[in-house]
Amino acid sequence: MTEKTSSRRTKNIIKLIVLIVVLAVLVVIPIGGGRIRMTSVLILVFLYMAIAQMWNLLAGYSGLVSLGAQAFVGLGGYSLAMLSQVYGLPLWTGFVAGAVISVIFALIISMPIFKMKGVYFTVGTWIVAECLLVLFSIWKFVNYSAGYNISATYKLTPAAIYYVALAICVGAIVVVVLLLRSKFGLSLMAMRDNEAAAEIRGVKLYRTKLICFLIASAITGIAGAGLYLNIAYITPPSAFNISWTVAMCFIVVIGGIGTVEGPIIGAIIYVILNQLLYSFPGFSMLIMGVIAIIIIILAPKGIMGVVNRFFNVDLFGIKRRL
Amino acid sequence: MASIVQAIMTGILLGGLYALIGVGMSLIFGIMKITNIAHGDLMILSAFFTLMLTANLFKSIILALIVSIIIMIVIGVLVQKFLINSVIDKGSEPALLVTFGLSIVLQNAMILKFGPNSQLISTAISEVNIFRHGQLSMSGQYLLNFVVAVVIIVILTILINRTSLGRGIRATSNDVMAAELMGINTKRMYIIAMALTMTATCIAGLLVGSTFVFYPSSGTQYLIIAFGVVVIGGMGSIPGTLIGGIILGVTQLLGASIFGTPYQMLTGYVVLLILLTLRPQGLLGKAKRK
Repeated sequence: MTEKTSSRRTKNIIKLIVLIVVLAVLVVIPIGGGRIRMTSVLILVFLYMAIAQMWNLLAGYSGLVSLGAQAFVGLGGYSLAMLSQVYGLPLWTGFVAGAVISVIFALIISMPIFKMKGVYFTVGTWIVAECLLVLFSIWKFVNYSAGYNISATYKLTPAAIYYVALAICVGAIVVVVLLLRSKFGLSLMAMRDNEAAAEIRGVKLYRTKLICFLIASAITGIAGAGLYLNIAYITPPSAFNISWTVAMCFIVVIGGIGTVEGPIIGAIIYVILNQLLYSFPGFSMLIMGVIAIIIIILAPKGIMGVVNRFFNVDLFGIKRRL
Repeated sequence: MASIVQAIMTGILLGGLYALIGVGMSLIFGIMKITNIAHGDLMILSAFFTLMLTANLFKSIILALIVSIIIMIVIGVLVQKFLINSVIDKGSEPALLVTFGLSIVLQNAMILKFGPNSQLISTAISEVNIFRHGQLSMSGQYLLNFVVAVVIIVILTILINRTSLGRGIRATSNDVMAAELMGINTKRMYIIAMALTMTATCIAGLLVGSTFVFYPSSGTQYLIIAFGVVVIGGMGSIPGTLIGGIILGVTQLLGASIFGTPYQMLTGYVVLLILLTLRPQGLLGKAKRK
């Protein structure tokens, strides 16, 4: 028994050291003469990792498969654009506003949306996002469909954007890990495995799902602001494009739905594949689509599902033991 | 006043087309309990096939339609056999994601093959006005859309409710296990349902393609319309799609005529969300027993 706990403790220490080393390397990259291209690729990896982590929190743990996550990416991006460009406020206020507006919006739409179950929820969220797309295209306040240049971002160095993206990514993962390691996470996982049984054991389904939805919305909003800090130009068709959710969905499905490690691996693969296929714009999505279909049919639990079959991976100490 | 009457009239006719777009989705949902996210893209694909066949191979649009129906049935059966049938037993989410992946593949394949530009299938009837009286007018194309839609929906309803094939399909839809015990090959029923869906969708594709301009990426927009129709009419109810289509068409055009054209889609979406919230099972759909 003691041997087991001590071996577990050494394992935990090794894991902690590995995580710290990885983080240290990531922090040093832009200083240590990391090439610009590498920095810009990593920025995308971090931000996609963050939004995919949130999509996974909803689809993988709460059973809320949403096709409307682009609503929050767009709201975050527009918060940044409006506050910095129109009102001349510092950039960081855009991130705060992105989170606040996303949470308020999520709270409002949760009332009708949470009445819908399963497929209806999925398409309901999508229609909400499409509403925002149409609304922003005909709304004078946000300059119609012309959108904004976010000129305050021009002065930022790639390294500055890199650290913002890294912070958002690490923040998102830490939030998810802390959430899953808490008692709340236990009810989440119970809910993922069997909703009816979880409810009988006293898990409050509605409240648990709502909390997840609000957290995911806030962080997707912040990451949305981060994405547009990098892109520096926003229009409704790009901000509220379903392709944001397509990306999240692919990342999570490829990496492994319902695991924390899945979106991390998925985001790395997604961004690298996209970069490799950059000169064939249509083909990259086509190939991603084919890969996703094959993975859903052959390995529905994604890469982490296959890996877990051979090694019991638990990087963040989330799995529970009886 | 005239503009309101015009909006309602055109809305009803447009609703017929919407119903035809949605009827395939309703069939698939009613029988297989899955939502086909690629529905709109399959319809746009069929419109491209008909367009290419009329432009390059045949003079007659009917002949082109028949050939593209055959092509689409083959595609539909392959999709059913190799993609949907292999995940259908695992619940609704994997099927949703598979058809989502298919939608992305189709959209990008169409952009690669046909280019991103807008297309229109020109037919003899698109320019004809049936009547024009003061501010009121009725386009021949819209009337044709409506008539064809009603005919197809009536045929499908009779097929499902009055024939022995229809009995097999309904049995599969009600209880897969019991249907199999009665000697019905349920996976074959799925394939037949997919073939019926593809036929209706292909006709819808031709009508949509000759009424509005379309792009390789238009599928998404029509998917939402199809979904709206099916939700309002009740998932799986074939006659319901006609009512759903007319409600959606009339609301959209009333919204456009009252608030201005940019609000056309928005009114449709908002009404859809309200209906989804109040009656998640649809207007004609039966509430699911617990």
